[in-house]
Amino acid sequence: MSKYAVEVENVKIRFNLASEKVDNLKEYAIKLMKRELMFQEFIALQDISLKIKKGESWGLVGANGSGKSTLLKTISGILQPYEGIVKVNGRIAPLIELGAGIDPDLTARENIFLNGMVLGHSREFMEKHFDEIVEFSNLEKFLDSPVKNFSSGMKARLGFAVATVVNPDILVVDEVLEVGDMRFRRRCNERMQQMLSGGTTLLYVSHNIESVRNLCQYAVWLDEGKMRMVGPASEVCDAYAEEQETQLRKRQAEKRELLRREGKKYDYLIVGAGLYGAVFARELTRRGKRCLVIDKRSHIGGNIYTEDVDGIQVHKYGAHIFHTSDKKIWKYVNRYADFNNYINSPVAVYKDELYNLPFNMNTFSRLWGLKKPQEVQAKIAEQIADLHITEPKNLEEQALSLVGRDVYEKLIKGYTEKQWGRDCRELPAFIIQRLPLRFTYNNNYFNDFYQGIPRGGYTKMMEKLLVNIDVMLETDFFEYRKEHPDMFKKVVYTGMIDEYFDYCYGHLEYRSVRFETERVEEANYQGNAVVNYTDREVPYTRIIEHKHFEPEEEQENPKDYSIISKEYSMEWKPGIDPYYPVNDEKNNALYEKYRALAEQEKKVIFGGRLGSYRYYDMDKVIGAAIADSAKELNIWIQ
Amino acid sequence: MDLLKYRFKTLFKYKDLIRELVSRDLKLKYRRSFLGYVWSILDPLLTMVVLTIVFTRLLGRKIENYPVYLLSGRMLYDFMKDSTNNAMKSVVGNAALLRKVYVPKYIFTLAKVTSCMVDMVLSLAALLIVMLVTRAQFHPTILLLPLVILQLYIFCCGLGFFLAQLNVFFRDIQYIYSVMLTAWMYATPIIYQLDERFPRWFHIAVKGFNPMYYYIAQSRDIIYYGNIPGPRIFWGGWLIAFVMLVIGVWSFQRSKDKFILYI
Ligand SMILES: Cc1cc2nc3c(=O)[nH]c(=O)nc-3n(C[C@H](O)[C@H](O)[C@H](O)COP(=O)(O)OP(=O)(O)OC[C@H]3O[C@@H](n4cnc5c(N)ncnc54)[C@H](O)[C@@H]3O)c2cc1C
Repeated sequence: MSKYAVEVENVKIRFNLASEKVDNLKEYAIKLMKRELMFQEFIALQDISLKIKKGESWGLVGANGSGKSTLLKTISGILQPYEGIVKVNGRIAPLIELGAGIDPDLTARENIFLNGMVLGHSREFMEKHFDEIVEFSNLEKFLDSPVKNFSSGMKARLGFAVATVVNPDILVVDEVLEVGDMRFRRRCNERMQQMLSGGTTLLYVSHNIESVRNLCQYAVWLDEGKMRMVGPASEVCDAYAEEQETQLRKRQAEKRELLRREGKKYDYLIVGAGLYGAVFARELTRRGKRCLVIDKRSHIGGNIYTEDVDGIQVHKYGAHIFHTSDKKIWKYVNRYADFNNYINSPVAVYKDELYNLPFNMNTFSRLWGLKKPQEVQAKIAEQIADLHITEPKNLEEQALSLVGRDVYEKLIKGYTEKQWGRDCRELPAFIIQRLPLRFTYNNNYFNDFYQGIPRGGYTKMMEKLLVNIDVMLETDFFEYRKEHPDMFKKVVYTGMIDEYFDYCYGHLEYRSVRFETERVEEANYQGNAVVNYTDREVPYTRIIEHKHFEPEEEQENPKDYSIISKEYSMEWKPGIDPYYPVNDEKNNALYEKYRALAEQEKKVIFGGRLGSYRYYDMDKVIGAAIADSAKELNIWIQ
Repeated sequence: MDLLKYRFKTLFKYKDLIRELVSRDLKLKYRRSFLGYVWSILDPLLTMVVLTIVFTRLLGRKIENYPVYLLSGRMLYDFMKDSTNNAMKSVVGNAALLRKVYVPKYIFTLAKVTSCMVDMVLSLAALLIVMLVTRAQFHPTILLLPLVILQLYIFCCGLGFFLAQLNVFFRDIQYIYSVMLTAWMYATPIIYQLDERFPRWFHIAVKGFNPMYYYIAQSRDIIYYGNIPGPRIFWGGWLIAFVMLVIGVWSFQRSKDKFILYI
């Protein structure tokens, strides 16, 4: 016997179709009399040659109408080739949903028999394997109810169970497994793997490239009836996905060009391609609004922008770790990125000592050599009591009254002074409200349920958020508004609120940071993503080693160099990138005045960290953007 | 010759499927209506009662033991009508399945005609009841009935194949055929007797060109009159049946590979 399960040689499928669909005698007769009956040759497949060995798994990919199903039908014997030869060695079992072709009024039991016999099994055979089928489909309870009452998932389950009772020589699956719940799909996959290792040949058609990649060893890419590529599934899928993407982009560009030529206006001009702007634009676009996003920087992403430097994602504007306890937000971001399981556990270096952060039992036992939480609590209480501070007058006294002398001197004092550029005794007490102390050995910096870094960097996530949305970079809002005042109906502004009003009440103040990023020829520079330097003598506040944010990438592609950024705190002056708002009384009052002005601007929505002058974590920014956009569109969200 | 052997082999392979399809049809038919099997006996009985009243009382025609006369023709005609009607839709109706799986398509047509035949045999009980009630005489010739049914079964298969393939290409055949069926019924001596009151040309037309005449005349002979059917209608019946079968199979064969494009 031949070692091939399927041999296809130079197959051509030609249809002779009436150019207009004529499916009744009356029209046929009329057209015949008027001599209007035109037939058109339609070549569905051409030059198809394939040799599929026994036990191999093959996927067919291609656009709608590219001939995937036609090829499958030809191999199954449903269609006859016009030219060429199709040889099949073995029994073909196509996977069919029950209820599609067989009477939906019949019960599941009856359908199992019918379906089995349609596949060419004898009654005796079906009786022997009946229990097996029922068990796999997990539908014992519904055996005697009509299939028409079944969900599509249940039908698929039944169909799959019947098709795979015995290992067929060749299993043909055409887009059926997309229904059903996760568990069933997993079981199907397991069963298919099992059959594959048992020598079954698989022919698989799916729109879902991922499933082809997972299930198949080889793939054929069909394009307008011809074979465009044959080879290992991953290569073919990659090429196909890439082509799809470029096609998509081309179509979008054409559409945009068309709209532009027609002089169509945008519904919204979104100022700032940061997280707030991108989420806002996504939400509006999703609901059919046309948005233009502009940013004065040369990249998207705002402050969460990551840049690929020699294969390492560098957090250009400071370390960003996504963390949230809001399940909805977590789900939302996971639609746009794959998050890894990074957990932030920074360490602090003080002179030649090293401590874990946040302040927890690891820190304390390093400080005092104590092991038991009670001892540590007593130690801190004692240190606080010794100081006799009742009303803290400045930051130093505030901190001391919260954590005692040792923690303050080694881990807070120098760091805070570098951050603010001032002595702790000159800083107001309100900056530090709480200093959480943990009496467990837990180095996880955040208390949130969910935490991680998008694999491949934040910029990739931002690109996904901005898919299909027009973006113009290096475009300043104030200039754009002057040149194209009527290209948009409304504005979403995520820049500095005081700048929008031309600083009419004066400048809001910020703190800023700057980074010195360098490449070091060491595979592992400091062993951790974030190391804080808490003594005053070291000029920088911390060093970030970017590769440690994506340990999985490093594992896959180890590099013998690394990228590090030293972070320096600095005074902010107008013109410098603003980082942290200074939310003291004076600035908050000033912001309130700007906010009152903002309320008068009916056609402008202010948002984001700069537009609302506050420190926002990323999850909060996303939440705010979703809520604000819903309000704008008058949609209720829970 | 090889081809023929191959055909019989596939037919054998799918025999269980045919049986299953037939039993499905019957099951569903009897399951769907409240009275089930009783209904398939009651239905011919009731129509018979109505027609008997109309025909003998209102029109005053005199045909001896009209109920048996009527039923012995009508049951065959109904079988022909139902089976060809169903057969016509058999390919199109299983389109979803045929698009996915290779099954010889004639299986569905064959199964439909067969299930109608079984249904008819089962409802022969109605005829039996009527014969008992009207005290009709049982002639030994009635034992020839299976031969007549077989002829008609072959005829219906042929016609069914022909209609099934035509229906794939022209969906309005269904309407045209149902009009034809009505005309056909009146052109067949089922409720009336083909006697001298009808003009000569009608006699010639019916006896020469109406296949159903051959089967109904045979069945009348053996059930109602107790005669052995004459050679003309007996051999004519077989001949017509096989000619129809050849036409049906040939037309079906010729176009079956194109079905997939139209269903
Ligand atoms: C050092 C640092 C570390 C952080 N770490 C974390 C962290 O670990 N986890 C976390 O959840 N959050 C973190 N954050 C917060 C996070 O960066 C913000 O939540 C987020 O970047 C806010 O996004 P945004 O869209 O509001 O603002 P931005 O990202 O700043 O976007 C505003 C955009 O508007 C553009 N723009 C401004 N004015 C104009 C104009 N006139 N014309 C055109 N474009 C204009 C700017 O160029 C900018 O791109 C951190 C913030 C900082 C400063």
